[in-house]
Amino acid sequence: MLNFIAKRLLSGVITIWFIATATFFAMHAVPGDPLTQEKAMTPAVRAQLEARYGLDKPLFDQYRLFLGNMLKGDFGISFTQENRRVNDIIREHFPISAILGVAAVLIALVGGITAGSVAAYCRNRWPDRMVMIAVIAAISVPGFVIAGLAQLVIVAMNNAAGKTLLPVAGWGSVSQIWVPALVLGLGTMAYLSRIMRASMLEVLSADFNIAAKAKGVHGWRLFFHHQLRNAVLPVVTELGPTIAAITTGGFVVELIFAIPGLGRYFVQAVQQLDYTVIMGTTVFYGAFLVLVVVLVDISYGLIDPRIRLHRGRS
Amino acid sequence: MAISVFRFAPKTWGDADEVEAVAPLPLPSMASPTVILSALMVLFLLLFVTVGPLLWKQSPSQQWLSQISDGASSAYSVRIVSDNGAWRPSAKNDLPRGLTVHAANTEYVRLHWPKLAGVERYRIYRGDANKPGLGLAMADTGDNYYQDRLQLSREVYRYTIADAETGLLLFAREVRPEPAMSAFEAQLQGLIPLGGNEEWVDIPAHPLGTDALGRDILARLMAGGRTSLFVGVVAPLLYISFGCIFGAIAGLMGGWVDQLAMRFVDFVVALPFLLFMILFRVAFGIGPGENGIMPLIVAMLMLSWPGSARLIRGQVLALRSQPFVEASRIAGVGTSKIILRHMLPNVLPMILVAFSFAIPQAIFTEAFLSFIGMGVSPPTTSWGALCNDGIKTLLSHPRQLLLPALLISMSVLAFNILGDALRDATDRRSGVVRA
Amino acid sequence: MSLLNLESLQVSIGSVQAVRDVSLSLQPGECRALVGESGCGKSVTAMSLLGLMPNAAETAAQHWQFAGRDMAHLTERDWRKLRGNQIAMIFQNPMTALDPTQTIGAQIAEPLRIHKGLSRRDAKKRAIALLERLAIANPAQRAEQYPFEFSGGMLQRAMIAMAVVCEPELLIADEPTTALDVTVQAEVLCLLQEMRESSGTAMLFITHDLGVVAEIADSVSVMYAGQTVESGSLTQVFTTEAHPYTQALKRAVPSLENPRPLEAIAGTPPDLRKPPTGCGFAARCSQRMAVCEQAPPPMSVGDSHIARCWLWHEDHPRRWRDKDGFTNASVIGRSRR
Repeated sequence: MLNFIAKRLLSGVITIWFIATATFFAMHAVPGDPLTQEKAMTPAVRAQLEARYGLDKPLFDQYRLFLGNMLKGDFGISFTQENRRVNDIIREHFPISAILGVAAVLIALVGGITAGSVAAYCRNRWPDRMVMIAVIAAISVPGFVIAGLAQLVIVAMNNAAGKTLLPVAGWGSVSQIWVPALVLGLGTMAYLSRIMRASMLEVLSADFNIAAKAKGVHGWRLFFHHQLRNAVLPVVTELGPTIAAITTGGFVVELIFAIPGLGRYFVQAVQQLDYTVIMGTTVFYGAFLVLVVVLVDISYGLIDPRIRLHRGRS
Repeated sequence: MAISVFRFAPKTWGDADEVEAVAPLPLPSMASPTVILSALMVLFLLLFVTVGPLLWKQSPSQQWLSQISDGASSAYSVRIVSDNGAWRPSAKNDLPRGLTVHAANTEYVRLHWPKLAGVERYRIYRGDANKPGLGLAMADTGDNYYQDRLQLSREVYRYTIADAETGLLLFAREVRPEPAMSAFEAQLQGLIPLGGNEEWVDIPAHPLGTDALGRDILARLMAGGRTSLFVGVVAPLLYISFGCIFGAIAGLMGGWVDQLAMRFVDFVVALPFLLFMILFRVAFGIGPGENGIMPLIVAMLMLSWPGSARLIRGQVLALRSQPFVEASRIAGVGTSKIILRHMLPNVLPMILVAFSFAIPQAIFTEAFLSFIGMGVSPPTTSWGALCNDGIKTLLSHPRQLLLPALLISMSVLAFNILGDALRDATDRRSGVVRA
Repeated sequence: MSLLNLESLQVSIGSVQAVRDVSLSLQPGECRALVGESGCGKSVTAMSLLGLMPNAAETAAQHWQFAGRDMAHLTERDWRKLRGNQIAMIFQNPMTALDPTQTIGAQIAEPLRIHKGLSRRDAKKRAIALLERLAIANPAQRAEQYPFEFSGGMLQRAMIAMAVVCEPELLIADEPTTALDVTVQAEVLCLLQEMRESSGTAMLFITHDLGVVAEIADSVSVMYAGQTVESGSLTQVFTTEAHPYTQALKRAVPSLENPRPLEAIAGTPPDLRKPPTGCGFAARCSQRMAVCEQAPPPMSVGDSHIARCWLWHEDHPRRWRDKDGFTNASVIGRSRR
């Protein structure tokens, strides 16, 4: 098992290095250089700025510097927000994105597993049909549209009630978390419930399920001990991509609901071509996602004894 | 119950014809109603973006400044009126019988009424004719005429003249201004040539209304759809082709080439997709005059090919060890012929299925990027970019977001259903080898 | 007083009449083999005996008694108390019938925890003791392992342990040896026999392997196309087989003592979505008669030996001599060869 974890961690580190390298060279492939976007400036100012951002050094030195700084956890200084360090931006805004993301993942997981199980149990009856229609709708509608619709619904509700039942946007109170989180998790929830339904159907017709029933196991015990535990495995493997989807989906939701998360800053940085922020947040997000995938892999091993023991030995 | 002896006589039955054959279970056919509906939907969308602009000849970038964020409107003619500021009735019209309307158009409404003894100042109210109440107090004046130039639109107004001091209502009249446009504005919008003296100009219909910049939404949906569907079809076409070639080479060569190729695939897969889409899109940049479609497609190509490469490599490896392939190799069939005869027919359905699932994915990606402003650049538009425009006016004019969103959802839904049906069909009919 | 008395069980699943007319009876401690080719409704019969048919299935029986209880009107709650406790089942494929995510020990202990209300520790102890009785080395350690760490034979032993742990009155074994290597088969059979004899459990042994039947069964029921076509004691059915299907089945089995060319049964079983109105086997039968267009009722061949074939009707010409005491069943069975 330790062997397996070490292997996964090593490949994770290599992947993060690859991401950082790809980010660095992609950003340096930009036509012109970052400073030409700025207003006309005297050569002296320009040289000073270049020195400040290390742009006067040869490419390879810059790359070495970038990697070195990254290892130290230093992503440099923002181009557009004077004197604001990228680290500070991440430190300040990532926790907000993280809270939103965790809430969304929880909603997606609980909702997806429940909906998928209900659909499988009621195969081809109306609960199944309803879940599947909802799934198809949620998969076909882009996240930003769902976010917009949610705002419309909130406004309509508030108007009908004559008072503010739910805030339309903003951040700070608990009531401002769950609508964006639901919107953010909805697409993933639909995707997960589809997977859950398929795997639950497989489990329901599996021999071991019938054998468990033949032993007299029934009700919640049957569900939790035998069915859920087996059916949830494919969902767990999807958790990595799920978190990635929710992270990137967060960009839009944060933008629309005016949530001061890192995703919104990333999009803003992209729109303003704030190179250090783009590079810093990309590497940060990339590393974060790789870490998540590695953790999910390891936790999958913990749930499924076949993998826990086999991979551990090999 | 006694049974006759003869009934126990041996009997030879007709072989098969006496045993009634029961038809085998029918294969669920691809032509289920939902699939047909989806195919029709795809056809409709394709026609909408290709034939549509031929039939609906409005320019998607033409701004109708008199119709900002309007609802659906039909075509009408607009009177060109000269814009000469202040107005007073000429002398011979000095004594109207009652409240007289000298002109009523959306540029100005000119009212004239008889002077009444004992009234020093008149107060003019304007209200919606369909609502009770006087409405807005427009002005207090000592004259017996008034010109209203305040944001007139084509609805029925009720003008009421009252005594400003006593509040006594004197006259009331309903007025429907006819559509009009000042010559200056018409020239500004290029509707009439400079110095031209047309009296009328035609404003076309906007069946779906106009957006926040006064552009025809229907025309923009058609133009945007062309981009969205183009990206949605071409990008998958390119990256699946590339992935197939890559995967096929890796699978056919085997050995260290395969190992190396697959390590590389592993790395590309590990890149967070949307994050790097944005990054690459920024890295490629958009020069002046470029529409940003190419960078989008190239970025998608660079990031999306590994999926199909893995799929095809797995298939090729699985097929290579299949008995029927080995048999033909032993029989001396050439490699190219084996690829053509055995590999291709087995792999093609899977490629097709992968393609049909890649289309909605690509449409979604394009929409997402355009929505955060990292997709196509104006004046080129796409459904995602239209959504981006529309979200700004979401609360006042939700239509501007919902219409492009509806088209995105329709196409994604239709392609997904077709992909599902295609996958089921290939799964069932051909003995596709599962990797 | 018989343990199980089932008369004319009918099960239809959707449009398929999987079981059309099955009658079974078991004495306490008896081992009855249920023989037939695949798709004839053996497994469906077994599942119905456990009350485990899908909701879409319709089950009906003229008479259905188990341990003195009327089973036809049992509620789901009663069934749950029965399953794994009084009636237990051994499945065909132990590789898939054990939950891959639970330890072997936990799975064996589970019926004890449900039916006997034992604590986790006591149940585990009993499970380990049972594994030891089933000749599994290191039972305490093995109990902590997962199914994928067991070999096929060991898995089937665990499966047997799971079934007998509550000492049920009826054990249904659905082809328990088919998925196993031949070398392991005999071992598992021996164990089964041992367990059965030590606890006095009655067993319904479902198989298509006639060799196994001869080994283990006291009595035999032969099924064809959803019906029991012949039933009787082991010797009755094996030495004086009465139904043409049983005869054909025996001719299809190789024999060491008496080498002869094997005969396959021509044709295919009828489609149970549209079962034939007459005798189900008639289309493949070498002895068919005009009367076979009618469905034959079960007919007595001898003492508790029943066959569903017109050959044994009292009006059949051959029975005339029988009535006069000239001949017996075996002569008729063989004379047709």
